Amino acid sequence: MIEQAIFAFVASCMLYSGLQVVHGRNLVHAVLWLGVTLSLTALLFLLLRAPFLAGIQILLYAGGVVTLMLFGIMLTHRHGGVHVENQQGRKLRGALAAGALFALMSGAICTTGALPHGGTAVVSAAEIGQAFLTDHLLAFEVLSLLLLAAMVGAIALARRSDYGEVVSGPAGRGVR
Amino acid sequence: MIPLHAYLLLAAALFTLGVYGLLTRRNAVGILISVELMANAVNINLVAFSWAHGGTVGQVFALFAMAVTVAEVVVGLALVILLYRSRKDVLVDQARDLRH
Amino acid sequence: MSAPTPFHWGLIALLFPLVAAALIGLVAPLRRAGMPAALVSIAAALTSLLASAVLLAGQIDDPSRAVVEVVGWLPVAGSTMAEVGLRLDGISLSMLLIVTVVATCVQVFSLGYMADEPPSAFGRYYGFHSLFIFSMNLLVLAPNLLQAFAGWELVGLTSYLLIGFYYRKPSAAKAAVKAFWVTKFGDMGLLLALVFLFAQTGAFSWDVTLSGGWAVVITALVFFAVVGKSAQFPLHVWLPNAMEGPTPVSALLHAATMVAAGVFLVVRLDPLFVQAPETQMAMAWIGAFTALFAAVIAVVQKDIKRVLAYSTCSQLGYMICALGAGSVMAAYFHLTTHAFFKALLFLGAGSVIHAVHSNNLADMGGLWRKMRLTAVTFIIGALALAGVPGLAGFFSKDLVLEAVHERGLWLPWLALLAAAFLTAFYMGRVVFLAFFGTPSKAAEHAHESGPTMALPLVVLAVGSVGAGYFGSSFAELYGASYSFHMGLSGIVATSLGLAGLGLAWLVYGRRSLPESSFAFLAPIGKLAESALLDRMYTFMFRRVLLVLAGLIGWLDRYVVDGLINVIGWAAIEGGRRLRRVQTGNVQDYTYAVVVGTILFVIWGLWP
Repeated sequence: MIEQAIFAFVASCMLYSGLQVVHGRNLVHAVLWLGVTLSLTALLFLLLRAPFLAGIQILLYAGGVVTLMLFGIMLTHRHGGVHVENQQGRKLRGALAAGALFALMSGAICTTGALPHGGTAVVSAAEIGQAFLTDHLLAFEVLSLLLLAAMVGAIALARRSDYGEVVSGPAGRGVR
Repeated sequence: MIPLHAYLLLAAALFTLGVYGLLTRRNAVGILISVELMANAVNINLVAFSWAHGGTVGQVFALFAMAVTVAEVVVGLALVILLYRSRKDVLVDQARDLRH
Repeated sequence: MSAPTPFHWGLIALLFPLVAAALIGLVAPLRRAGMPAALVSIAAALTSLLASAVLLAGQIDDPSRAVVEVVGWLPVAGSTMAEVGLRLDGISLSMLLIVTVVATCVQVFSLGYMADEPPSAFGRYYGFHSLFIFSMNLLVLAPNLLQAFAGWELVGLTSYLLIGFYYRKPSAAKAAVKAFWVTKFGDMGLLLALVFLFAQTGAFSWDVTLSGGWAVVITALVFFAVVGKSAQFPLHVWLPNAMEGPTPVSALLHAATMVAAGVFLVVRLDPLFVQAPETQMAMAWIGAFTALFAAVIAVVQKDIKRVLAYSTCSQLGYMICALGAGSVMAAYFHLTTHAFFKALLFLGAGSVIHAVHSNNLADMGGLWRKMRLTAVTFIIGALALAGVPGLAGFFSKDLVLEAVHERGLWLPWLALLAAAFLTAFYMGRVVFLAFFGTPSKAAEHAHESGPTMALPLVVLAVGSVGAGYFGSSFAELYGASYSFHMGLSGIVATSLGLAGLGLAWLVYGRRSLPESSFAFLAPIGKLAESALLDRMYTFMFRRVLLVLAGLIGWLDRYVVDGLINVIGWAAIEGGRRLRRVQTGNVQDYTYAVVVGTILFVIWGLWP
């Protein structure tokens, strides 16, 4: 009973903060709301008996991604404010498409009858580590490669070119 | 006990919110945030199924997904910065050089 | 090496002229040299003549022999659609000999006649001649209708080339085009006949039995082509204009051989024609009408070549009429004798024209004293044509009239008799005007032609006298029987011919009857001359064909092309409109992805 209450509370908070993320006018606030959502997700993970993932969620998302986003905003909004307007014309059709998608998905979920029910067994960090380094070793290694590639790519993309002058016309084509 | 349906519905709602943001935000960073929201919804699903079925596979999957998402965020932000550097703004509806 | 078979001789007769034509056509220095080209061509013609003489000699020994050597042609699915090769039998070999004899004579004659031409034109002339002999032999030796058609068309081509030999002269160029068009118009009949024949029998051979009305249809179509090629009414209009070509050409193509090819084709296709009495009836009437009609026109012509041209029409009418009466032998016999004396007459006329530099009868006169040999040979030819007893034309014309009479075709018979009278009259007129009477200014300076021109005249004169006596040999070659006897037709026709000659003597020789007493003939002749028909053809062409072509062109331009244009326009316009979809805005693409996903999900959930 307590769990249900917690879930209801967390879920409603998440929906509200999620709405703020996509609907807020201030981009910095949106990112902060995103942090809230992600943290609440960590709570949800605890409810789902996944404490390790909850910790990772906090560390990686709430700590890493949100900070990264803030940096991104900071770097790209030196001249203008951080206020953003959603486009009026797109609001309606965006809402329509999203609503249709939600209707379909919820319809599908609700019409599905009996679903398996989880117990109270907690998956420990040790078990996950075990799985990582045995059954999913290849994926794990490939993932490390992906992260390396992403890092290299990000640096290659974002660094200022030290050679040649930066040419940027009004239309701004290219960096060189 | 909380039924699996509840988690799935919550994830669907969050995903839908992400889609809405993806379709309406003009700002590239805003779009990235929306994508994060969607990825998060997916993660909820993964973990919920992992919980329902037992075992570690779902959680391992979720971890992988997180890592991939983070990589995507990194590259995405780098692109945003590049966009900003070349156009002095990050409004995607202004960056229409691919037209024609 | 074994002795040459008939097949080898046939190949020699066929291919030597082709080789000569190819040499002259492809080796430009040879052609430009003129005389060497002429010698090559004459050598080929002589070889061909020799080969055909050998062949014919063998054929006379064994009249029923028929050598057929063919190879497959147009391979279709393992077998062949048609065959090419040689067919050597009585009909083809006798025609082959006529063609090669006349062609050789004409080529030798041309040495003198065309001597004033520049060397390159001279060479070109002989190249065409060699090509003509090849084409004609191809037609004559054809084992089936398809190869005959190829030869037929090639003959038409060389006719076009030779009529338009003086291509710088507009009238000659026009005449060449006219001849080509009119004969091609007729040839459509032959082409259709080929198609129908193939559709009916799956082959192009002519000794088949056709069911239903197909024999009539096919023979009628063939006859249409014959009407064009053999200058029968109403497609005869090209022949008088064809006289724009050099006179030896007129002698060879437009008197002796090419125009006779139509008759030859009907003779060849006799197994088909006997199955179609309706077509034969039409042939009899058209032939008889043409014979009389052309003879009337010939009477009022002032140009010596045009007299002979209309005379040719008229005599071809005799042959066609004989074929219509079902007498292949008569037609073919007349073809043979006619080839000799008409070639002789044309060459004689050429000799005269060469001497006085004019075609006009008024520029001649009194040439008897200047050109004794030409005059004698020409008069022999004229008498042979007029049907004077003892000469070639007498026998064959008699046979034609006999055949028509036997068939009970009274009106055609009467028309032919009238034509016989007129023939004698106009030939007498030409002889008296050209060779007797007072010489004109031009004729005073005339002198006899050289030996190269005299020799062919003599050879052909001998043929004109002698050919008539070989009737029974000819008959053997066709498996017919022939014995000369003087029947009603013969007596009437001969007396009419002599009467015509006598009348001509009275009017143009003794001048005891004024020319004006024949003034009543002038309007008839003028009316009958081709101007009216020409005008009708022009009208058909301008008002009917061109309008039809314009209509079809309009349909093509605005309906067919319009459809294509609309499709193209739709693609362009559609592309232009659809391009707006490509906004370049990344969110629009995302939107498309989302909508697409939704649609996919709906599709997947659909029961």
